[in-house]
Amino acid sequence: MNVPALRFTEKIALTLAASLLAAALTIAPVAAAQASPASGSGQTVSASSHDRWLHVRVTNPSDKEETVRVNVPLELAEKVLPTINKDRLHAGKVRFDDVDCHGVDLKALVDAVRTSKDGEFVTVQSKESDVRVAKQNGYLFVHVFEKNRPKHSQVEVKVPMKVVDALFSAGKDELDIVAALHALSAQGDTELVSVKDEQNTVRVWIDSKNVTE
Amino acid sequence: MMILAKLALGFCGTVAVTGAYAFHEGVMRVDEDHYNGRHVHVWVPAAIVPMALHVVPSRHFEHALEHASPWLPTLRELTKELKKYPEADFVEVQDGRQHVHIHTHQGKLLIDVTEPDETVHVACPLVMMEEIARELEAKAPAV
Repeated sequence: MNVPALRFTEKIALTLAASLLAAALTIAPVAAAQASPASGSGQTVSASSHDRWLHVRVTNPSDKEETVRVNVPLELAEKVLPTINKDRLHAGKVRFDDVDCHGVDLKALVDAVRTSKDGEFVTVQSKESDVRVAKQNGYLFVHVFEKNRPKHSQVEVKVPMKVVDALFSAGKDELDIVAALHALSAQGDTELVSVKDEQNTVRVWIDSKNVTE
Repeated sequence: MMILAKLALGFCGTVAVTGAYAFHEGVMRVDEDHYNGRHVHVWVPAAIVPMALHVVPSRHFEHALEHASPWLPTLRELTKELKKYPEADFVEVQDGRQHVHIHTHQGKLLIDVTEPDETVHVACPLVMMEEIARELEAKAPAV
């Protein structure tokens, strides 16, 4: 091969190498981004092991094709809620007035429940329904059993008292949703709400999994 | 002959670099299929969208930004937080033959809607959404 031909080949090789190098440098972030799901999922696993998820599941026992599944990371809700300022929701707090609670001082009521010993506060047993409100082991329980329907319906609510305290930790006429979510994230796996009637089953619970079973 | 070869190589290199940059944040996809035969498929390199917003004059956004500006901090915070969950299911609603699924996969927010007579699939890279929110916030009038 003569000298000009060699120089030409050299130049081609150099230009090609430079182009490939430049492309590779630019593609590197792509490769990293593509690889990130794997490493990202690793992060997710570690993050999700610490993160708490709020799950809502609505199913229709008679129709398997009707299902609602909602999974919300509590940390995400804590960060996003304060950015929403619409109607009564401002800075992660919901404002209510006397009309909403028919003159009942909710904050005083919560204070009374908090300072009282464990026990049943309300027990109503009638032909139509059974209602039970109790405080036990740091949880507030509300149990409603409706008998006067074609089929029975049952509502069970179990809220940690720390969450109730956090909810009412803002002003007198405000509910601090963000503080309540923060308190909720410190709780262990808990079923918060369970509603069962002839048509639907609703479950609200928190755990560390990012999927429902 | 040599000049042509050099030009071709330079062109190929430039195309490779430009292509790599344009797609380095992935692709935003919107696929809409109606069973009456109408199909809409939009594929846009994610890196181009915030860049396009940057160069489009603000007057073209004024009206939309007036309505959207209160929600831009929410969008920014939401996308920033969603990036921490690159593989997660958030909402799934199944009602007979209707199905809505909102989830993240490989750093993209995916919204899939399946109905008897149409399907809509949207895939938005979260990086792009965050950049769009920041770009629009910069353009938005102070609230």
